[in-house]
Amino acid sequence: MKENDFNRRDFLKVLGWGGTAVALSGCGNTSIQDGQEIVTSYVTLPSYVIPSIANYFNSTCAQCDAGCNIMGRVREGRVLKAEGNPNSPINRGKMCGLGQSGVQAHYNPDRIRQPLLKGQAVTWEAALGAINDKLNGVKGEQVAFLTGGMSGHVQALFGNYMDALGSKNHFSYEAISPAVLRVANKKAYGMAMPRYRIDKARVVVSFGADFLGAWVSPVNFAQQYAQFRKGTRPEGRGVLVQVEPKMTLTGANADSWIGIRPGTEGMLALGVINALGSAGIKLPADIAAAVKDYTPERVGVNTGVPFERINKLATLLKERSPSLVLAGDAAEGYVNGSQNALAIAMLNHVLGNVGKTVEAAASVPFPQIAPTVGSRSSLNKLNDGLAAGKYKVVFSYGANPVFSAPAAMKFKDNFVKADFKVAFAQYLDETAQAADLVLPLDSAMEDWGTVVPEYMAAPEGSDADTYAQMSFRQPLMQKLYPDTRGVGDILLALLKQRKADEYKDFEDFYSYLHNAVLKNKVALGGKTTDDDDIFWDETLSKGIVPLKGVAGSVSAKMSAADLKLSPATGTDTNYPLRLIPAVSASMRDGRNANEPWLQESPDPLTTVVWDSWVEIHPKTAAKLGIAEGDIVEVASKSGSIKSQAYLFPGIHPDAVSVPVGYGHEGMGRYAKGVGANVFSILDPVFEQETGELALNETNVKISKTGQRVIIVKEEGPLGGSQDGRPKIAVQVQADKVDLSKEV
Amino acid sequence: MQHILRLFILLVGLFAGVGSYAADAAPKLTTPDDLGPQIEQPIEFPHFRHAGDAKDGGMQINCMYCHTYARRSMVAGIPPVQKCIGCHQSIESVRDKPRIKKLFEYWEAKKPIPWKKVHDLPDFVRFNHERHIQRFYFQQDRPYQEVCGYCHGDVKKMTVARRQKPLTMGWCASCHMKDHPISAHSTKTGHGPNDCFTCHK
Ligand code: SF4
Repeated sequence: MKENDFNRRDFLKVLGWGGTAVALSGCGNTSIQDGQEIVTSYVTLPSYVIPSIANYFNSTCAQCDAGCNIMGRVREGRVLKAEGNPNSPINRGKMCGLGQSGVQAHYNPDRIRQPLLKGQAVTWEAALGAINDKLNGVKGEQVAFLTGGMSGHVQALFGNYMDALGSKNHFSYEAISPAVLRVANKKAYGMAMPRYRIDKARVVVSFGADFLGAWVSPVNFAQQYAQFRKGTRPEGRGVLVQVEPKMTLTGANADSWIGIRPGTEGMLALGVINALGSAGIKLPADIAAAVKDYTPERVGVNTGVPFERINKLATLLKERSPSLVLAGDAAEGYVNGSQNALAIAMLNHVLGNVGKTVEAAASVPFPQIAPTVGSRSSLNKLNDGLAAGKYKVVFSYGANPVFSAPAAMKFKDNFVKADFKVAFAQYLDETAQAADLVLPLDSAMEDWGTVVPEYMAAPEGSDADTYAQMSFRQPLMQKLYPDTRGVGDILLALLKQRKADEYKDFEDFYSYLHNAVLKNKVALGGKTTDDDDIFWDETLSKGIVPLKGVAGSVSAKMSAADLKLSPATGTDTNYPLRLIPAVSASMRDGRNANEPWLQESPDPLTTVVWDSWVEIHPKTAAKLGIAEGDIVEVASKSGSIKSQAYLFPGIHPDAVSVPVGYGHEGMGRYAKGVGANVFSILDPVFEQETGELALNETNVKISKTGQRVIIVKEEGPLGGSQDGRPKIAVQVQADKVDLSKEV
Repeated sequence: MQHILRLFILLVGLFAGVGSYAADAAPKLTTPDDLGPQIEQPIEFPHFRHAGDAKDGGMQINCMYCHTYARRSMVAGIPPVQKCIGCHQSIESVRDKPRIKKLFEYWEAKKPIPWKKVHDLPDFVRFNHERHIQRFYFQQDRPYQEVCGYCHGDVKKMTVARRQKPLTMGWCASCHMKDHPISAHSTKTGHGPNDCFTCHK
């Protein structure tokens, strides 16, 4: 201690004598700060703005592809929170947690703020000039576009730019998408994405469709589900049965959860059809023949579901009509995935649900803005092309395959082979890091755009079968950084390099959009006599443009000819466990992993935060001598990851599950190095008909590393009993629970 | 010896502190002690010219003509530059005054005026203008200059505003503890809320 310092003990003594008084005098004038801060008033102010009182502006959520309509709460020029737009047929005034985190994508400290050419900050002029140079002498077929799912006017501009370059190589990629289901639905119902009416069904049997968490349009389904569960409904309270090898949020809400052997979902569906036939439901001859061999007894042996339960399920479905049967991720992710989905769809036909709870959806009348949906098979094509050196210039937007492609595909190695890679990005994610030029994007709360959702929900009413909609995305506040740009603005600038004359009238993307909307005023619900400005303002303020869509129809019949259910692939003695990559409601495919709220919100089933984990059935764990918190190595033929073990009875004993979306190597401070990337160890096994990566076809082995951690989770050490408080319910030890026997 | 001296200094400091607290404990009307510092503003705005009494050469403009949000929002609001210009563009007589020239400079550059905040409560305090104005101005029908003056002092005599009251919690509470008539037409009385979360939320 220095000579002149006051002795700490003296200080404490004094404080002891008069501590209270000192503390109180601390409340004096000292905390009032006069003249320190600046209070910036507006220069001009629209009459509807009152400082400290928020205004709401309609826009569209950009956090996932469901395209929920939202309202941004804006106060003093800053967007503070998002709420659901109550007039939206998609989300009816509600939102999910992932959507709520959208403000963190906007205010994220790790956003890129300047164009980066080979890692060096450059001006926009230099950046766009570099693209022009690199395209010099490159043929159209040597240019590739990699995007996520897209729709609306930005998509139209992408299309125009591709045309201008003479490129037809558009690869639309989504790491997690119902791509197999779309193909199977097309066969079974005649349309890829019909409307599912959970709210009308008396029983829902979902084969691994986590419709309350992460499947297709979760907020819409969650609202339907709320109706479905109401006892006051004319149909009475609905019953939910969930069939899946790893319990999802929807599974946890089900009346009955069936932990099926991975990959045998289609077989169970056929077994149920067989049982329905025996119970007296009239089956068409071809279907009867197709399911003849699938007796509940045999199916019981193969699926691990006791045959009494199969019969019970058939009885339930027979007695409670209309029902709805859904095929989700858990049924699709296999080599025979589309056959699984087809067999499950057949149940809807047999039960007469098609047309009742599976309804035709309309599509938008403008093909240029209709959604282009992503899949993994397109990534395979791009990857092959890159490996063969076919592409010199690659543009990437809204996709991060360097992170989400299995390491065995060697995507990154192939990607860097292209001469010049341009990434439109908000963060320096793995793909942007591998790119030569990174163009910083505005956040979705700063940008203009239009969105057409793939899953087209409709409001109740007679014209529901022709209802389609386009949603507006408008800036909720001014740009945070001067040097970011909207994707539409960048595309326009690029188009002007090629076709200056055609685009010279459009100063920016806003003027392009404004013009495109006013040109189609009548199709968008206006009258020719409407004043342009009023029409534009009204359209924007509603945020939703209902369109007279092209009505679709669902096929009433399905032939069994398409159905050739191959047996599920077996296990491998070296790799005895099946790996199920889990898609959680907040993390999804990991594109939003740098939003800390998502890392911080506990997984609904395990309550783990800020890390990935390996779900293991307690019996399997006991066999391997694994306890909760052991760091285990999960090794497949294609690689290995390490993470903490979490014992969980809601999983098939022959399977383990690791959530996807964690384990980023870039992106930002909240995502980097948090958890392990399970995508990387997936085996390159593909669905036989669609070429989609079969996500659930990786076999793994698990070994202890000897390290241990205390899992950071909400639920407390005993799985729910809160310290010192009386137990609320009788507790069963985790390893004694057999959820497949419960209910 | 040095040790004793140090202890002594600490003690003196302490009692000075307690003393100042004791002085705050009984809030009083404006005294020089409650005055905030003189603050230099980008434009030396003459409140007395705008709000002052006619006999003193003022125009008796209602405070809420410019601080228009006070009655419907948490904050009273600094008027947008547009509002100043709204009147001043047709007041030719003062157009050449340095302050007005400066005002027009801001307006022409479309720049906001960086006013310094004079009544700046700590961030953990939520003061709501609307509640106070509704209660005292609209329900009790008190004159606006008196109502605003409860906290801001006699602004109509000032040039740029200067804090006149302590704005401490004890000072707020002293008024909240008093009974006030519920409205101008009622004999019933009530006092302001006393819950922590009313202001600290
Ligand atoms: S489901 Fe959630 S994340 Fe997706 S669009 Fe709707 S609110 Fe946004």
